[in-house]
Amino acid sequence: MTIPDEILMAYVDEELDAPTRAEVEQAIAADPGLARRVSRERALREKLRAAFDGVLSEPVPERLIAAARESPAMDDVKLARGVADLAPVRADRAAARRPRWAWPEWTAMAASVALGAVIGHLAFERQAPSPFTAAGGRLVAQAGLADALTNQLASTQGAQSETRIGVSFRAKSGGFCRTFVTRAAGGLAGLACREGNDWTLEAVARTQPESNGTYATASSALPNAVLQAVQGQIAGEPLDAAAEAAAQKSGWR
Amino acid sequence: MSRALELFRDEIVELLPRLRRFARAIARNPHDADDLVQITVERALRRFEQWEDESRLASWMFGIMRNAWIDEVRSRVRRDRMFAPAEAGESVGASSTTHEAIALQSALAQLPDEQRLAVALVLIEGLSYKEAAEVLEIPIGTLTSRLARAREALATILE
Repeated sequence: MTIPDEILMAYVDEELDAPTRAEVEQAIAADPGLARRVSRERALREKLRAAFDGVLSEPVPERLIAAARESPAMDDVKLARGVADLAPVRADRAAARRPRWAWPEWTAMAASVALGAVIGHLAFERQAPSPFTAAGGRLVAQAGLADALTNQLASTQGAQSETRIGVSFRAKSGGFCRTFVTRAAGGLAGLACREGNDWTLEAVARTQPESNGTYATASSALPNAVLQAVQGQIAGEPLDAAAEAAAQKSGWR
Repeated sequence: MSRALELFRDEIVELLPRLRRFARAIARNPHDADDLVQITVERALRRFEQWEDESRLASWMFGIMRNAWIDEVRSRVRRDRMFAPAEAGESVGASSTTHEAIALQSALAQLPDEQRLAVALVLIEGLSYKEAAEVLEIPIGTLTSRLARAREALATILE
């Protein structure tokens, strides 16, 4: 019986189902030439493994452990701290080979899902004034959130303020947008863009305040939906401190 | 830091020896290989929220490493090499000292990237055809034909 090379290879790689395997084994038993081919393939596999297995017992360099322990994750509030580095994220996006959806759609979807969750939550929240309201089919910032978006500068804001501004940037549509994290309404993070005199919320999602209730904890997660929205909107780089101050002075126009 | 992220970081640390082995098979020299691991770890963490299937962190990270190799590290390694040509035996890791290991490592280094990646995933890392095909984003039939060609080439080089 002749056994095609691919079947023999799959046999060595243990990819065959039981009946086929049994058939191949029978053929090997009857044919010394086949048996030699199989043992050659097995030997190659073992030698390859042996040639690289030594790496497993080498001490892992400190810099790699540090990279795993300390390099920033999406979960960290890079943006909210105003030290956004979107370049690597963009590079990753460019490198993504087969996006399942086009990015703009994906962003819209993520944002609307997050909005749904937040609106659902707010419907049951009665005590404090909501940081935003619905108007003309949009969500618009109000109260303390609107004040912070209009007046607060990332470079000078207090660590304890209820709302903290992350990055500010020019959107592709030309207007200004700002990311924020707020303790209002139980902890929210979002992206707001200036429209006329309002701040429209492009994306907003819950953040989990940490157990000790400090601000750092409330800001410890800028949700993916918000980050995606930023990526979808941003034109160029985030504003630096001087540009942010200038934009604030000119009323975000 | 969230608990999930903490666990994620722990698992990556545990995976580092395997990531280094895979990188060594792709990138030839140990220093380039560790650079590749570092870039992979950084990218994986940036994409933490995209990681869903808890049981298969290794495959997910192999895929990230393969992309990092193709779109970033490979070209840099080539560029560096123009100034400092590869020396014989450069691919040899400190721990692999046998003649045979040296011969195999340099034989593997001579294969085209696509074949070397297939060999590294299936023959060295022990992934199934299905898993390896997913990491490389190719049909299983393409994977097996790359494997077959790679084996043939390795056998020829080693003879």
